[in-house]
This record gives sequence, structure tokens and C-alpha cells, in this order.
Amino acid sequence: MNARRLARVLGRPLLYAFLVLFAALTAVPFAWMITSAFKSGGDFFLSLFLPAGNGFLGVAWDHLTLDNFRRLFREVPMARSLVNSVFLASVTSLFATLCGAMGGYALSRFEFRGRGLLTSLVLGTAILPVPLLLAPRFELIYHLHLLDTFAGYLLPQLAPAFGVFLFRQAMLNHIPAEIIESARLEGCGEIRIFFTLVLPLVRPMVGAFIIITFLGVWNDFIGPQIILQSAGRQPLAVTLAGLGSNYGNDYGMMMAGTLVSVAPIICLFLLLQKEFISGLTSGTVKG
Amino acid sequence: MKSARPHPAWAPWFFLAPFLLLFAAFFAWPLVRAAVLSLEQTYGPGVGVFVGFRNFAFLARDPLFWTALRNTAVFTVGSLLIQMPVALGLAILLNRPSLRGRAVFRLIFFSPALIGMVFAATLFTLIFEKQTGLVNFALHSLFRGWNPDFPWLEDYLMASLILAALWLYAGFNMVYFLAALQNVPQEQLDAASIDGAGPWGRFRHVTLPAIRPVAGFIVMLSIAGSFQIFVLPYVMFLRTGGAGPLNRGLTVVMYLYKTGFLIGDLGYASAIGWVLALLLVAIALLHRALSRGETQ
Amino acid sequence: MPRLPSFLSPAAWVIVGLAAASTIGICLMRPPASRALQFWIFAIQHKPFYQTAIAGWNHTHPDKPVELVLMSGTALQQRMMSSFFSGTPIADVLEVERSNIGPAFAGPLEKIGFVDLTDRLRDQGLLDGINRPSFSPWTSRGRIFGIPHDVHPVLLAYRADLVEAAGIDVSRIETWDDYFRVMAPLQVAAGESGGPGRALVVGWPSDYYIAEMLLLESGGAIFDARGRPTLNAPFNARFLARLATWFTGPRPVARSVDWFSASGHRMLLDGLVVGLPVPDWYAGIILKLEIPGLAGKLKLMPLPAWERGGRRTSVWGGTMLGIAKCSPRREDAWEFAQYLYLARATAEALFRRNGIVSPIRSHWTDPVYDQPDPYFCGQPVGRLFLDQAPHVPVRTSSPFNEQALTAFDNCLISVTDYAVRTGRADPATLVPEAQRLLDQAQRDITALVGRNAFLSSPP
Repeated sequence: MNARRLARVLGRPLLYAFLVLFAALTAVPFAWMITSAFKSGGDFFLSLFLPAGNGFLGVAWDHLTLDNFRRLFREVPMARSLVNSVFLASVTSLFATLCGAMGGYALSRFEFRGRGLLTSLVLGTAILPVPLLLAPRFELIYHLHLLDTFAGYLLPQLAPAFGVFLFRQAMLNHIPAEIIESARLEGCGEIRIFFTLVLPLVRPMVGAFIIITFLGVWNDFIGPQIILQSAGRQPLAVTLAGLGSNYGNDYGMMMAGTLVSVAPIICLFLLLQKEFISGLTSGTVKG
Repeated sequence: MKSARPHPAWAPWFFLAPFLLLFAAFFAWPLVRAAVLSLEQTYGPGVGVFVGFRNFAFLARDPLFWTALRNTAVFTVGSLLIQMPVALGLAILLNRPSLRGRAVFRLIFFSPALIGMVFAATLFTLIFEKQTGLVNFALHSLFRGWNPDFPWLEDYLMASLILAALWLYAGFNMVYFLAALQNVPQEQLDAASIDGAGPWGRFRHVTLPAIRPVAGFIVMLSIAGSFQIFVLPYVMFLRTGGAGPLNRGLTVVMYLYKTGFLIGDLGYASAIGWVLALLLVAIALLHRALSRGETQ
Repeated sequence: MPRLPSFLSPAAWVIVGLAAASTIGICLMRPPASRALQFWIFAIQHKPFYQTAIAGWNHTHPDKPVELVLMSGTALQQRMMSSFFSGTPIADVLEVERSNIGPAFAGPLEKIGFVDLTDRLRDQGLLDGINRPSFSPWTSRGRIFGIPHDVHPVLLAYRADLVEAAGIDVSRIETWDDYFRVMAPLQVAAGESGGPGRALVVGWPSDYYIAEMLLLESGGAIFDARGRPTLNAPFNARFLARLATWFTGPRPVARSVDWFSASGHRMLLDGLVVGLPVPDWYAGIILKLEIPGLAGKLKLMPLPAWERGGRRTSVWGGTMLGIAKCSPRREDAWEFAQYLYLARATAEALFRRNGIVSPIRSHWTDPVYDQPDPYFCGQPVGRLFLDQAPHVPVRTSSPFNEQALTAFDNCLISVTDYAVRTGRADPATLVPEAQRLLDQAQRDITALVGRNAFLSSPP
């Protein structure tokens, strides 16, 4: 009995200590990345985080430098890559969401011949691993003369089988058939029904799917690596991976590049937390 | 219950059209081509010869493929065994409404999942560096006996990969587990407490059975993801050609990528792709059989 | 406040904004079509030297300026192969490292994306003017696809300060056996007197560049002149058995020292190893530029041979300059390539800056190679490397070299493990195991080579 009371008294602080420890372990690589991005080559080898000195808090603040960023943007087409990444991710996510929502709507709220077959086809392909399609898709894009074009990368991303599945589920759950029917009775056109009635009802799903697609494209490496060969078309993921060298790395520049690449996502995340988490975990709990 | 005013016949097809056209072009057709390609040997997309089933015959005896498969299996099992308990543990610790700062902890644990594999891998190449890397530097400062030249990226590639994946995805899986834990009936936990069950007993007999379906799903998803690991090792070991010294970091999808896009053999790459697909379908079927066995 | 249409959440509106902004950005940022010849390189150490050389070229050739782009070797290989396979854009002129060239030679001859330079080189007398072995890695099916950048002979660098303090006379060293015997007094086992000890030479079983370099020195080969695998030649088995004993026993003579990291440099500085085989580029770039602390402490000598009277050098690394077949300006590219790789002035600058000796024999009389180098205790470093240049071994250009080397090195690792496990220290007792492993590797690589349907006759 005594032991249990002891456990209860100690439990709380112990729990917090444990959680704080884990949180610190999670945060340390971030802290290391950020501090490294502002350190000069010499300081990188001397200090783990901030260079020691006799400034405020015992840190040599004057040793910190923006030089890594300056070199990054001067020697590498980083600004261009940043714009490319934003472009590919945002355009893909908007159109893929539209395609997915429209497809999901058709498969959930209409009755027509072949619906069952189509539904199982879409679901079936979602199981197949993407790498299987890499080689034939590359061959196809080659034959379409779309290699090294944005379209060659974008088009295959705009048919999200998984998205159709998610929207179908969401619409089955959240859109009562009567609403659509009464709208039709009032003489609403089909397209207007979709945009003014259906989409608002699955608004959380729309936001969530846009976000996961955005994140997926932003972080995609293999697709652009294969399709986009010109330096002027490559997104951050490809540009950053090309920064390493076989004969020693430019640590400061690599960390500055990583920081530039993840900062926009972190900002978006802090801005739109709820949609992020529900987006990233969607499908699993219900599915 | 037939509606008074049926939708026009074109409507579903109109909504399906954009998806269906793209799907046919970039999924269905490549899938068909993947089958044909796997019977060819190519040098880039323009040059190919028919070789029949020789790709698969060679694959069965290809030492590089087996190296890749072994590495991938080691990574999958290793990260499963470490990541799942950590994720579940964190979820259970966080699953108390009375906990202060719960949202903040959840945010911190989850945040690495936002970092793309390329970016995380770039970070981790430097973290696992000898001497100056975060891991060796910190371990050497804490324990003087630790070798600051510990060759993470030369001899312990899979260990470094598992650790990097742990950082990336433990918090992500924790969010899934947190959602699953909402299904645990509080009355049963209370009843178990009254019956004198300790924390372990409550976990074993109440929590675990309640989250088992979701947990099985998370494990399944994690296996499928781990089996397709490519970018993380490829960028982490880029200095040594992506596969690390002596292909110690080669994975199945990395082998597929290198075969198809550096050697140019899209045929052999497709053959590897089919074997990968078969393996994943087999694992999925196994999972289904197991979970069905449990519910009965 | 205006109401936003309700079918989009705030998140979606943010993304719509980003999409609009970035689309405008993409349209505005369209770069002006560049008139410059594109020149891609992979080694950061080449960059400062080339920047100077290119500034000179651009000054005298304002009508055909050159633009330099640096990328990682892996990125360069990926974009090069993509271009060869499917015609995506590529530089006009590109430098390629030997370990990245294999796939380019694995297809039909007409799919090799570099301009065949054989006839141009012959017409200009360069086939004889350039040190013969330097062509070998860039030759496929008898045709030459690049101008060699280098010879890269290998010498042995040793800690003259330690050796002389111990009163050791290096002139008594001819073979590796001599070397280990004469230097033995300098060896300190790890843990002895609490320190990390001192080994006699840099090397470890999984470093396949060193394994290849030493195999070539000894006269072994893993492909024959016609590109057929010869991994399991009895000679190779004897070589593996001997090399494995470097890493085994109670006091291994070799130790692992990272070639390219700060920690490896630290170990060299701290004298944890007496000697290391170095090609000209390692001496000129890595040692001199990145480890200035070793100035005045190192000397060079010919590499110890494997047998008496045997070869005293080898070759490690190598780069070529190729011209892309799809370049619309091949003649300009050829002119620039000659300027960069063949001109006497650039050859001299290359040596001054990076310590790399020219493959062009007529340049070898240049007095720059005879200048004493204070970093190496006043030795005439260029001359020492050039004295060995004619003896540099010929290398294979088999597209399967990387795979075969990996297989070969795996054999070395297994033989070493076997030696440790069984406690055998005499090379002769390791030969049967080495032979068994090499036979298996030979089967694997033969199957790999035989599978290729595009190399009608082996390269």
C-alpha cells in the first residue's frame, strides 16, 4: 500500500520529467540545425550549439553570421527552387483536391452503371506500391515529350486514388441524400450543387487533403529527381540533395539550405495546426 | 425511395472525367506497361529488347537484390520494434486530460513528421558525422569512453537509419495511437483498478484489447512504409553513392531506382517493382488473416 | 469584412494565395536564354582554379563565354544518364569522375552521349602525346570519349619527422615487407601506454578504392583487356590473402583513417599512422590545403612494391572532360576543352594550385614540376610523381567495374574475418578461402556481365 502511495506522489513529477526529456530529444536536432545554419565553418567544429564567448549568456553572438545564407542564394539557384517548390506544391494540391473531391462525389452520391466496378478499381490500385509505377510512368512521360516540364511532374499527381477514396467516405458520412435532392427540385444545376452545397459540407476534408498533398509534394524527392532535370525547374528537395559533395561537405550551407526548406512548412503548420494533424491522420482511423 | 427528380445521366461522368482520364493515363496504362516492361531489358526508355522471364530468373539469384531485401527487412523489423513501443508509450503518457501542457507536448512530438525525408536526411548526414556530428559529439561529452569517431555512416548504417526514422515518425504514430486510445472504455479501466489491477494489468487486459484493431492497422501501415524506404537512406548515404560502403545501405526501392534511372534498365526495375508489390500484398493478406483470426 | 466563399477553409485560402503568387513568380523569373557554354563539374576543389581559367577564357573569347556549374557527383551522374537515355538538357562540356562513368558505357555504342574524340585526338597527335594509361578509363569498345584530366600516380607519404627521429633509413625499403620490417620500431599497439597507438599505413578492409589501387600496383586485375571478369585468377587470391594480413594479428599494421573528414585529418596530424599512399591530387588538395599543420613533416617516396623489382606506383581516381553529343556547339566546346586541358599554361596553373600533374608528356619538362615544395620538406614533388607516371597501371573501363570492385572488396572483408576467426596469420593458409570466395564473386559478376544484351562484344 505504501509503495502505491509513493508511486502516486512521485508519479506526476516523474511523468513530467520523462515527457520533457523526450521533448528535448525531439527538439535537439532542430536546435542543432538552426544554430549550425548561423555558424561559420570554424565555429561549426568548435561548439555543439552556439559558439562560446563572453557575450550575453556566455555566447559569442558576434560570431553568428548570415554568410551561409548569402552563399546559398548566390551559388545555388535556391530562390528559384523555393518558388518552384511553392508552385508545384500549391498547384498540385489545389487541382488534386478538386479532382479527388469531384471523383469522390461521383462515386458516393450518384447511381450509375459501373460504379461498383470503378470503386473497387480505385481502391485496388491504392494498395499497389508507387515504386512499381516509376519506370513505366517515366517511359510514358518520355514518349509524351513531357520530361523536364512542370506538366510532366504535375499531371500524374492530379489523379489521387487515395483522395477519391477519402472524399467518398467523407461524403457518404456527411452529406444527406435529401439535401441534394431538394436542391435539384429547386432547380439548382449539378455544378452549382457541388460547389455551393457539397464542398462546404466536407470543408474540413477539403482543407485536410489540400494540406497533405501540399506536404507530400513539398517533400517529394524521387518524382522531381526523375522528371525535372534543369536546375531552373528543380524544387528544394532536389537542389538540397545536390549540395553535398563527395569530398567533404559545406556544413553551414547545407544546414542553411535545410532551414530554408523546412521553415515554410513549419510556418504553415503553426498557422494551420488543426488541419495538419487531422489531414495527416485522416483515413486511418475511419478506414 | 427513388428521387422525384433524377440527376441527368451525364452528371456522374462529368464529375469523374478529370480524375478518370488522368487515372487511366498515369495509373492504369503504366500498370499495364509495367507488366510488359518486366519482360524486357532496356537502356533508357528508347532502347529495349524482349528477354521473357529472364529478369525474374536473374532476380532470384541476384546477390544485390538479396542484399537490398535483407537490409530493408532489418530496417523494417528494427524500426517497428523500437518505434511502436515508443509511440504507444508516449500516447499513453499523454492520454490524461488533466495533464498540463498536453497540447504543447503533442505538438513537439509530432513536429518532425512535417520534415520531408530529403531534408531530414540532409540533417542526419551531419548529425551522424564523426567527431563534429551531434550524436558522437554529445555521447563523447557525456561518456568519455565513447569513441568520437564512431562510424555511424560507414559501418552502422541500418542503426543510424532506424534512429533517424524513430525521430521522424515516432510522434506521427503517437498521434494515431492517441486517437485509438479514445476507444478505451474508462469504466472498464476503473473497474479493473477496483479489482486491484496494476498499471500493467490494466494495460494488458483493458487498453491493449481495445486498441488492437487500430494498432494492427498502424503496424501494417508502418511495415508498408518501411518496406518502401528509399529517400532517407539515399540522401543520408549520398556521399558513398547512396547505398553506403559496399551496399550496406542499399534498400529494395533504392535498387529499383538505381537500376531504372542510373543503369537505364526500366525492365529490370519493373521486375523488382512487381516483387515488391507481391511482398506487400502478401504482408497485407497475412495481416488480414491474423486480424480475422482474432475477431473470431 | 468581405465573406470568403464557404467551400474553402482558411488553410485552403492560404494555399490558393501561394499558388497565385508562385505562378506569377514562375512567369516573371523565366531566365534569359543563356548564350554561354555550360560546363559542369563535381569537385569543389576544382572550382577556384577553373574560375580563374574561365575568366581568362571569357576575356579572350567574348563570343563564346563559358559558365561553370558545380554539383555533387551523384547529381551530375543522375542528370548525365537522364540526358543520355532520354535527351533532357545537359551541359555542353562536363567533367566526369571514373566511379560515375560506368553506366554511360553499358549500352549500345551509339547511345553513348559523349562525342567520340578518338579521331580528333589522333589527328592532333595526342594519342601519343598523352600518357597512354590515362586513356584507359575513358575508352569503350576501342573508342575514346573524353580527354584525360590527369595521371594520378600514387606515392607513399610518410612522417619524415617521426622516421628521422627514430634514425630509420627509408632507402632500404623496396617492398611492402621491407616497409613493415624497417618501420616496425615506430609501431605502437592501441592501448599500449594508454594511447590510441600508431599504425604503419592507412587502410581498412572495406575501403575498396585502396583495395583496387593496391591490386593494380601488384599487377592483378578484375577484368581482362576484353572486359571479361577475371576476379578469381589465382594471382588475385594470393594478393587478397596477403592484403588481409595487414588488418589482422595482435598488432595490425594498417588502421582506418577517414580520407576526407576532419576527424581523419586530425588522426594524421596526431601521428596515429606513419605512412599513407597518396596520389598527386590527395597530396596537392587534401594534404596541403586542408591539413596545413603537417607542413614540413611529410616526405614522399615511391610506393613499396609487392615483389622485388615490381612496380613502385599505382593509380587512384581520375577525371575526364567530355563533350555532350547533343550540344549544338561542339566545335566551341572542343576549343574550350583544349584550352582547359591541353594548354601548357593551364597545366602549370593546375599543378601550382592543386598539385595535379598533367597527362601531356611534352609538358613534363616544365620547370614548375622541379620546384622544391616546403610542405614536403623541400622535395621536388612534381618530379617525384612524374617519375612514376609512365609506370602507372592500365585500368579497365568495364561498366561493371563498380559492382566487381564491391564484390572483390567483400571477398577481402570475408577473408579478413576468416583470418581473425581462425587466428591464421600466414597468407599461404588464407589462399584457399580467398580462392573460394573469389570463385563465387566471379560467378556473380559473370552472370551480371552476361545478362547485358547491348554489349554485343565485351568492351
